[in-house]
Amino acid sequence: MKLPITLKVNGESYRLDAEVKRTLLDVLREDLALTGTKKGCGAGECGACTVLMDGKPVNSCLVLAVDASGREITTIEGVGGIEGLTPIQEALVDHGAIQCGYCTPGVVMTAKALLDSNPHPTEAEVREGLSGNLCRCTGYVKIVEAIMAVSRS
Amino acid sequence: MSYAVVGQRVRRVDAREKVSGRAVYAGDMNLPHMLVGRVLRSPYAHARILSIDTSKARSLPGVKAVISYEDTPKIPWNSAGFPPSPGAVLMEDQYILSDKARYMGDPIAAVAAVDEDTAERALELIEVEYEVLPPAMDVEAAMADGAPLIHSAEKNIAAHMPVVIGDVEEGFREADFVFEDRYYVPKVYQVTLEPCGVAVAAPDMDGRVTIWTSTQMPHLVRGITAHALGLRTGQVRIIKPPVGGAFGSRLGVVNEPIAALLALKSGYPVMLKYSREESFLGTESRHPITMVLKTGVKKDGTFTARQMTAYIDGGAYATHTPSFAGPVAGWFLAMYKCANIKVDNYSVYTNSTQCGAFRGYGNPQVVFGVESQVDDIAAALGLDPLEIRRKNHPCEGEVWSWSGWVIESCGLEEGIERGAKAIGWEAKRNRQAGQPGTKKRGVGMGYMMHVSGARPMLHETSAAVVKINEDGSANLIFSNSDVGQGSGTALTQVAAEELGLAYEDVMITKTADTDVAGFDIGSHASRQAYSGGNAVRKAAAAAKEKLLAMAAEILEVPAENLTVENGVVRTREGAPKSISVAEVSHKAHFGSHGHQIIGVASEEPEGNPPVYAAQFAEVEVDTETGVVEVLKIVAAHDVGTAINPALVEGQIQGALQQGIGYTLTEEYRYDPVSGRPLNPNLADYKILTAMDMPEVETILVEASCQTGPFGAKSVGESGLVGTAAAIANAVFDATGIRFKELPITPEKVLAALRAREK
Ligand code: FES
Ligand code: FES
Repeated sequence: MKLPITLKVNGESYRLDAEVKRTLLDVLREDLALTGTKKGCGAGECGACTVLMDGKPVNSCLVLAVDASGREITTIEGVGGIEGLTPIQEALVDHGAIQCGYCTPGVVMTAKALLDSNPHPTEAEVREGLSGNLCRCTGYVKIVEAIMAVSRS
Repeated sequence: MSYAVVGQRVRRVDAREKVSGRAVYAGDMNLPHMLVGRVLRSPYAHARILSIDTSKARSLPGVKAVISYEDTPKIPWNSAGFPPSPGAVLMEDQYILSDKARYMGDPIAAVAAVDEDTAERALELIEVEYEVLPPAMDVEAAMADGAPLIHSAEKNIAAHMPVVIGDVEEGFREADFVFEDRYYVPKVYQVTLEPCGVAVAAPDMDGRVTIWTSTQMPHLVRGITAHALGLRTGQVRIIKPPVGGAFGSRLGVVNEPIAALLALKSGYPVMLKYSREESFLGTESRHPITMVLKTGVKKDGTFTARQMTAYIDGGAYATHTPSFAGPVAGWFLAMYKCANIKVDNYSVYTNSTQCGAFRGYGNPQVVFGVESQVDDIAAALGLDPLEIRRKNHPCEGEVWSWSGWVIESCGLEEGIERGAKAIGWEAKRNRQAGQPGTKKRGVGMGYMMHVSGARPMLHETSAAVVKINEDGSANLIFSNSDVGQGSGTALTQVAAEELGLAYEDVMITKTADTDVAGFDIGSHASRQAYSGGNAVRKAAAAAKEKLLAMAAEILEVPAENLTVENGVVRTREGAPKSISVAEVSHKAHFGSHGHQIIGVASEEPEGNPPVYAAQFAEVEVDTETGVVEVLKIVAAHDVGTAINPALVEGQIQGALQQGIGYTLTEEYRYDPVSGRPLNPNLADYKILTAMDMPEVETILVEASCQTGPFGAKSVGESGLVGTAAAIANAVFDATGIRFKELPITPEKVLAALRAREK
């Protein structure tokens, strides 16, 4: 069954008909071609699909697109791009915190939500905040360093 | 030696596109009329296929292709990404789709349809009649009398590799003590964040097929895929976009032939993307190994005989395993000097998913056993564990038995010294007796050696083209198999250094494209900086030679008197004269010469310099819960010249996450009776989160070698090789209990503590 929905993504409104069973992640990636948000499991276990919904980080693979209708969605494409990176993104680049990059969009979104609500977290708070974002490349060392650098600045 | 670009922590060439979500991975692609591919997998671990009927699936509207064994070329092949070489034992026992199910998840059929739902429904409509056979889920079961044969090999032993040096029996007689222990290391997965198995294949009207795939080995995957399909090599074009991690999982063919066959049959592009579960069910893992180590030793810690008998569980298909047995022997031989060594490696088929490459390629398995036993030997003989390693490891100037070549440089002793200091070795060891309460702390270390490429066992060909543009910038054309490790950045630094240009002035091909770049083996065996770096340096040097020759003409000085730095050619001595690279190159293009300055190289590197590491762990064991907490890891690594220290640290730090997981939490398990995987998901297969990671300190020892680019050796794999041994030895220091099986789970710790009380 399809339902008409309005998705507000990165400040733009999209009207579309979505199958009830489809996830926000799949609609973002497949219907809106916003492929910066990644799918690492589809089951809420890896955090690669993290987006902000009304400013809160969610695993978009666990949210039905119909339930996201009318909410403010922010994806990695809405954070920083060709016009300039945000301080979190700059810090990740400068600290060498990016390897394969597949976890990176999710990490950026989680870090943004964390720093938006708590601009100067401790290292323990950063680690706890990141605990839903798996990374298999970096050991989290440089990711944590980068976010701590933003926290201190 | 100091350099302008080499040794700098420059930003990665691909960091900005990744951090902004703009990088397009294979699974992000969309082509006009692109179909969705899906694989039908065996629900049984071992079964004969009596019949398969795809007619209903074919007639479902929206289905564009259905394939089974009947539709696949009858060409056996081997998925492992090996160049034909002395050390490659390529047993060809695979087909694109199987005529017999040899593990639960074995691809039996595949469909391509207009959307996911239609593809799923088509899979349900395929009717397969199976005759279920009993499975053999481990090496004991597979080698037992009367075990079901998975292929035709007797006792399911695919291969036996013996190595004999000297006479171990004589060596055991000479020994004051003989130690014999059995170790077991489990099946673990690479768990790339981008699930393994994603390819888009697009046919053209002339029988060619282009495949965008997440791979480590563009050229070798092209060759294997072409062979499996019965095509000429040049008819297949592999493009490697950004890859979401690899660690060996993409070291060879994954699902490219299935995607290509669907595309060629349907005439449309096909996206074949495995789910997380499928990437567990159907792609290659690390090998489980049962090892029996027997070591003869003199009172002073001199080894008189070393022997390893290893049963390697290769899973359902040969792929890497019979070749893999070679390096497994090599790691063992090479660690410690001894006149008498014997190795017997058995490659065994079982009904688990086939095993392949995972960072370290057998070395983490072997080092766990060897370094655990050496720790026990040191304890029994009352020797300092650091001293027994210093005394017996092969060093610079000696022959390294892995390659048979002389060791170019060795930074182990510096690594041991600095690592011991950083962990607080002297103060923290042997605290066992004095620790009241239920939390026991201890420290331990493990040492390892690893390769830079796989010569002389395997060919290590690389090719590079350096083009100097009319404005003085340069393009580096390379089959860039960077899968996250940063080799594309390191190679750019090598080219810039050699050319005398700024890092920003050199642009590498960010992707790999086999239609464009010359033959390169790819990313395996920690080879890119060393093998790739040498080819890049040579191509840059060739371009520079032409550049200087032209500048010499213009400046009217001999070329030998010229040097280029930061984009400017200058005289070394005599009257100061200079001209920018841009001006020379512009004149080359558009002056009387009319040519571009291009340097080309295609070669194998001269050597295979080993790298060394000493890793130290401090742990706290909770004797009430059995939980082992790693408090700190110090990883001291000799990598040769660090081309980019930030990348090098990142490699070690990331590998440690995998190494600690290997030691404490990770194990892929099967039901022994049905052969059903028990944890093919990230909830039950536990990898470490940011909260689980301990403090990590990396120490870089730069014992530069002679044959590497600017003295570089390698780093990619080595960060996890010694980790399990270091942690297990720390647990021994804390509790006095020796764990010979990984992972060291709370259940095992509690059981061992209880057993000791009795
Ligand atoms: S894809 Fe959503 S949590 Fe993994
Ligand atoms: S950078 Fe590869 S998963 Fe995090």
